[in-house]
Amino acid sequence: MAKRFKLPSVDPFLLWLVGTVVLASVLPARGAALTAFDMAADAAIVLLFFLHGAKLSREAILAGMGNWRLHLMTLAFTYALFPVLGLAAARVTGLVIDPSLAVGLLFLALLPSTVQSSIAFTAMAGGNVAAAVCSASLSNLLGIVLTPLLVTLFINSGGAGEMDGLGSVQKIATQLLLPFVAGHLLRPVIGKWIDKHKKLLQPVDRSSVLLVVYSAFSAAVANGVWQRVGPFDLGVLLLASSVILAIVIAVNGVAARLAGLPREDAIVLLFCGSKKSLVSGVPMAGALFAPAQVGMVILPLMIFHQLQLFVCAWLAGRYHAEAEAAAAALPPQGEAEALVRAEAIGLPIPEECRPGVTANLELLTRHAQTLEGDRDK
Amino acid sequence: MRTAAAIAAAVRAGEVTARSVAEQAIAALKADTHVAVTRVLEERALAEAAAVDATVARGDDPGPLAGVPYGVKDLFDVAGLSTTAGSAVRANATPATSDAEAIHRLQTAGAVLTCTLNMDEFAYGFATINATHGTTRNPHDPARLAGGSSGGSAAVVAAGLLPFALGSDTNGSIRVPASLCGLYGLKPAHASLPLEGTFPFAESFDDIGPFTASLEDMALVWGVLRGEPLTLAQGEIRIARLGGRFRENADPAQLAAIDAIAPDAPLLELPDIARARSAAFLITAYEGGHLHRATLAASALTYDPAVRDRLIAGALLPEELYAKAKAFRADFLSRLNTLIADFDVLLAPATPCTAPLIEDPRILIDGALSPARADLGIHTQPITFTALPALAVPLRRPGMLPLGLQLIGKPGGEGALLALAQRLESDELTGVTAPGRIVTGELT
Repeated sequence: MAKRFKLPSVDPFLLWLVGTVVLASVLPARGAALTAFDMAADAAIVLLFFLHGAKLSREAILAGMGNWRLHLMTLAFTYALFPVLGLAAARVTGLVIDPSLAVGLLFLALLPSTVQSSIAFTAMAGGNVAAAVCSASLSNLLGIVLTPLLVTLFINSGGAGEMDGLGSVQKIATQLLLPFVAGHLLRPVIGKWIDKHKKLLQPVDRSSVLLVVYSAFSAAVANGVWQRVGPFDLGVLLLASSVILAIVIAVNGVAARLAGLPREDAIVLLFCGSKKSLVSGVPMAGALFAPAQVGMVILPLMIFHQLQLFVCAWLAGRYHAEAEAAAAALPPQGEAEALVRAEAIGLPIPEECRPGVTANLELLTRHAQTLEGDRDK
Repeated sequence: MRTAAAIAAAVRAGEVTARSVAEQAIAALKADTHVAVTRVLEERALAEAAAVDATVARGDDPGPLAGVPYGVKDLFDVAGLSTTAGSAVRANATPATSDAEAIHRLQTAGAVLTCTLNMDEFAYGFATINATHGTTRNPHDPARLAGGSSGGSAAVVAAGLLPFALGSDTNGSIRVPASLCGLYGLKPAHASLPLEGTFPFAESFDDIGPFTASLEDMALVWGVLRGEPLTLAQGEIRIARLGGRFRENADPAQLAAIDAIAPDAPLLELPDIARARSAAFLITAYEGGHLHRATLAASALTYDPAVRDRLIAGALLPEELYAKAKAFRADFLSRLNTLIADFDVLLAPATPCTAPLIEDPRILIDGALSPARADLGIHTQPITFTALPALAVPLRRPGMLPLGLQLIGKPGGEGALLALAQRLESDELTGVTAPGRIVTGELT
């Protein structure tokens, strides 16, 4: 009964991203065009954060807040474990690859979790979707403040970046915070329309990201990005991303077990705690880093993003198959399921037997649960 | 009541005829008031007794059980009779063409089959509440259950109508009634006594075994059924007390007796014992359900409603769940063998309580009332799961309702069980007490 899950195919959006990078490499915007694209990219960032704010459901956060231990654990993964790993990865890879790429590794580690894919994978794996909505939304809400703060703290003070303190605070306030707050405050007015037209807005979302990427890579190409980045650098980035993701997933499993999280919540911790948002990360990089540096900084994020999609889709598939197998190993639930099963094995159940059979199936279900270890007695 | 050993000795010595013993037994069985007997096999018994007497008259050896009357649970094949397994569904089943192997061995040893005995329909229950024949009564208090599913077998021995009877034990169906009726009852290591010619229930756990009122008789009958005499273990017997779940839902008298028997013995906690019982429950339900599937499809309404619904539910279980329970068992058994390697006998209660009232057949499990029919086997079912041999021994408590313990041994370790049981009996910790009421027709 359990379906076998194939490895997921490459995310079509990644192809668009790669296409945009190639386009920017072959036909980079220069001079006045670049300035125009920069302005358009800035506008796109403002629009993106406006939409992020409008899409964020405060009700979902409040409704799911009861499970605060789970949310704290998720936040600890996103904003504590990841940054530590990011710092280590930047330090180590900085020895062999371009420092801007190493900064990009650290930058991705400071980003909030994804909302959409975390929830989708949680649902697919049979996890606690309400808690995932809350956890991922909370992570994004805090990320608006936390990520720029952590970037300022680790990247600015480390001298690896090229940002001036005051300028970045201004940029964060005007490009990220303000549109986000505005979008969120307007939610009572436009929220319903936005929720209803999510599909319509997705291209806006995505094309804005592509615009930022194009603008960033145009500047990067002018800065000689492809003279500085070769297959070796990409290989190092892939390896570093894999190591970071593997450590996060391993620690995640141990933490869920130590905390005694039920399966549904452990799935939330896994998917919300191991992800980094591309749609938040690209515009944030656009706002936080100098235009010439943005392309280099988001390159590791793009690699990590695809890797996490691969791994999480595979894990979600495994969880799904496990859940299906567990359901198959339970007695039929209720009279309707009993009748379906009876039909399948050619055993008619006379009307007068049904209450007794259902009661016995309930007893057998309790024993099946005890066998599973879900019940003590 | 005379023991099987005493009757056989008297018959072999020519002091009494097998026929007179059989006639006495038949009269007693006909007068039974415990709803224990389903068919008195007068003609057959007298013929078998006559054959024994003829052998004695010829000067030949009639065998170790010469002229000893006994009965069998309604699921043993008896040549010429329908094997009903206690069910109206099989009341008109094609008569068996030959005896069950166990009956054949007993006959060869000179024993005389006198009757078939009441049981829960298809052995699915711990109460001997039978829709066709009625509920078997406990000789120690006829208002109470005798336990089941071999309740008829236990009741006739406890009432002193027969010195021994055969029952079957799939999840505790010998040990539970032995405990409630105050008898010795042996569930052998799985499949070590012949099952040929018995109506199955759940093949993974089905076993047959005897009820007796004395240990000497137990050894005697075991030797005949097994085809080799029982060698009692000599020397020290290493004992462990089973802890955890086995010390919950137990009568304080049982725990006190266990602690008195082996005060310094380690308290052994079997891992995952609740899961083991659940796995046994599921495997039994699945195998029982599958055995009856075709008959249920054709004539479900002929079954006892309570048994029928349990069997149908079992038939509906998915294969995956059965496979999971079997896989758990394999893993459990390998862990168990390591855990008990240093012991010869494990001690545990046999039933969670004394016999419940027939009027209110419920018992307290974890503080909640639960049907006796399903839960009297709470301590026997996990031991069945281990496939280890277990001897139910009655605590010595005259004037009180009987209660039993399980002495659990290693495979092939029945000798250690009997040796320990003898020691306990001579220490006056255990032993059979005759019911207060004198039953009409008692063998004297």
